Amino acid sequence: MKTALAVLMGLWLSAGPAWAILGQQTESVLADQQRMNAQLRTMINEGYRVQQIEAPDGTVVREYVSSAGLVFGVAWQGPKVPDLTQLLGAYFAVYQEALQTPVRRRGPVVVHTESLVVEMHGHTRAFSGRAYLPSLVPSDLSQEEIQ
Amino acid sequence: MSVPHDSVSLLVHRCFALVLTVSLLMLPGCGSDASSSSGSTPGNGSTPSSSSLRSPYTAITGPNVQPMTVNSDFAYGYINDLLTSVTICVPGTTACQTILNILVDTGSSGLRLIGSQLSLALPAVTSGNAPLGECFEFVDSYVWGSVVTADVELADEQAAAVPIQLIGNPGFAAPPFLCSSSGLPETDTVESFGANGVLGIGLFAYDCGPACTAQSAAVPAIYFNCPSASASCTPTSVPLANQVQNLVWRFPQDNNGVIISLPPLDASGAASITGTLVFGIGTAANNGLGSAQVYTTDARGDFMTIYNGKSYPGSYLDTGSSVLFILDSLTLGIPTCAADTAAGGEYCPASTMSYTATTLGFNGASGMVSFSIANANTLASSNNWAFNDAAAPFTSRPEAFAWGLPFFFGRNVFIAIEGQSTPGGGVPYWAY
Repeated sequence: MKTALAVLMGLWLSAGPAWAILGQQTESVLADQQRMNAQLRTMINEGYRVQQIEAPDGTVVREYVSSAGLVFGVAWQGPKVPDLTQLLGAYFAVYQEALQTPVRRRGPVVVHTESLVVEMHGHTRAFSGRAYLPSLVPSDLSQEEIQ
Repeated sequence: MSVPHDSVSLLVHRCFALVLTVSLLMLPGCGSDASSSSGSTPGNGSTPSSSSLRSPYTAITGPNVQPMTVNSDFAYGYINDLLTSVTICVPGTTACQTILNILVDTGSSGLRLIGSQLSLALPAVTSGNAPLGECFEFVDSYVWGSVVTADVELADEQAAAVPIQLIGNPGFAAPPFLCSSSGLPETDTVESFGANGVLGIGLFAYDCGPACTAQSAAVPAIYFNCPSASASCTPTSVPLANQVQNLVWRFPQDNNGVIISLPPLDASGAASITGTLVFGIGTAANNGLGSAQVYTTDARGDFMTIYNGKSYPGSYLDTGSSVLFILDSLTLGIPTCAADTAAGGEYCPASTMSYTATTLGFNGASGMVSFSIANANTLASSNNWAFNDAAAPFTSRPEAFAWGLPFFFGRNVFIAIEGQSTPGGGVPYWAY
């Protein structure tokens, strides 16, 4: 499925603003790309686009943006978990509250609420995660595509 | 200058795919094994007989052998916490202290101790003239504290003046925003961490490695300059020698890796078990590879698992993961325990199920792994504390098998450290 999508993708470098907040319009936020001195790539798919930001510290963030311009998902990979206060925006509080529930085991983090899904896994030097808003994911898109 | 991490991993995974392809072409048995014999059967829950393992558990003794336990004696521990003790000393002196209940973790590298458990004054590692702080993340929490040096003793082995981390030490600067912004819980106390510290004996010699030696903007927010307790800390690069590091490679001998040796368990688990952490691979009469199969990893410290013909390339072995984190309910055809039950979120099959998967190294080596999944609520309601058949879904998008502590019971598992020489050839690797 990933390969099929890749065929549809247009790939180019953009100098525009980057790094949006979950659940918000991409146009509504300030560019964080410059602060991170990061590279931005945009990949266009049917019904949504993916903005990929590669920061010099090795962190890669992908933002999934609907045709209406809403960020419905973010995914990350790198040596450290990125600033989720920024990536999750207002949903950071939902995520934090869900983490208050004690889990008596050590391992990957799974937060599933009605409004928000956050999943994190990995180990030293290689952490990955993703967050999305189930109600905003385009109906024809598998949630597995957010990665 | 660092290469963007993603490019590296893409290359690595392409190479990995190539290795897989080549191995499928060259080793016909590998591919058919993977697709035809992976799968599930309702089982009686008995663990695979030790005769089917290439590196079954054997009791190992000697001066390079450190005991480890899994039991419920420690008030703040979790099930399947593999614990040991360490002796630390002020470098070059006989001022020493032994600290019990240290978690043994193959998913990280370096020794980290909860500061309140320490009565010694250890010298700080500095960056410029400022004390060095570290924000160290585990998958489900972060710890914050200063970097200091200590002499450390495990069994008869000694590592001199090694950087270690003190977690939550009083009087040190507060965690900076770039540390807490992950939103992960801060676990800087014995109660929240669930142990007095952690002994990271993973594949890496250094906890961060070359990424943290990069200059300015390219450095991840892991190490920090902390000029005073009240000033805010700022990210800094750190030379390898000052990074928190795997103690084992700093031993004068038996320094190329370890063996995790844990006895087999019944399907119902055990209240208490004792195993051993053996230092060195092929360096002494008691730590040879024997017939263990060597599985090298990619640069991230991952290898591949194949289940029912599908590949999970981000897989890893981790004593610090309490259960097997694998697949999902739909794929396995078994339910998870209800959220409000003791083992909420873990697997809760009606009867214990048996499965097989194939693990595949970066070197193309492959081998079958048998495992069982029991009803986690049944396990939780017993008085037992060590389990070889507790499992939970990985995430809703399975990308990896996290082979947690249940994998290790009944085996001698070798872990070879990056940059070291071993009889098993290229490092880093796991062998079992």
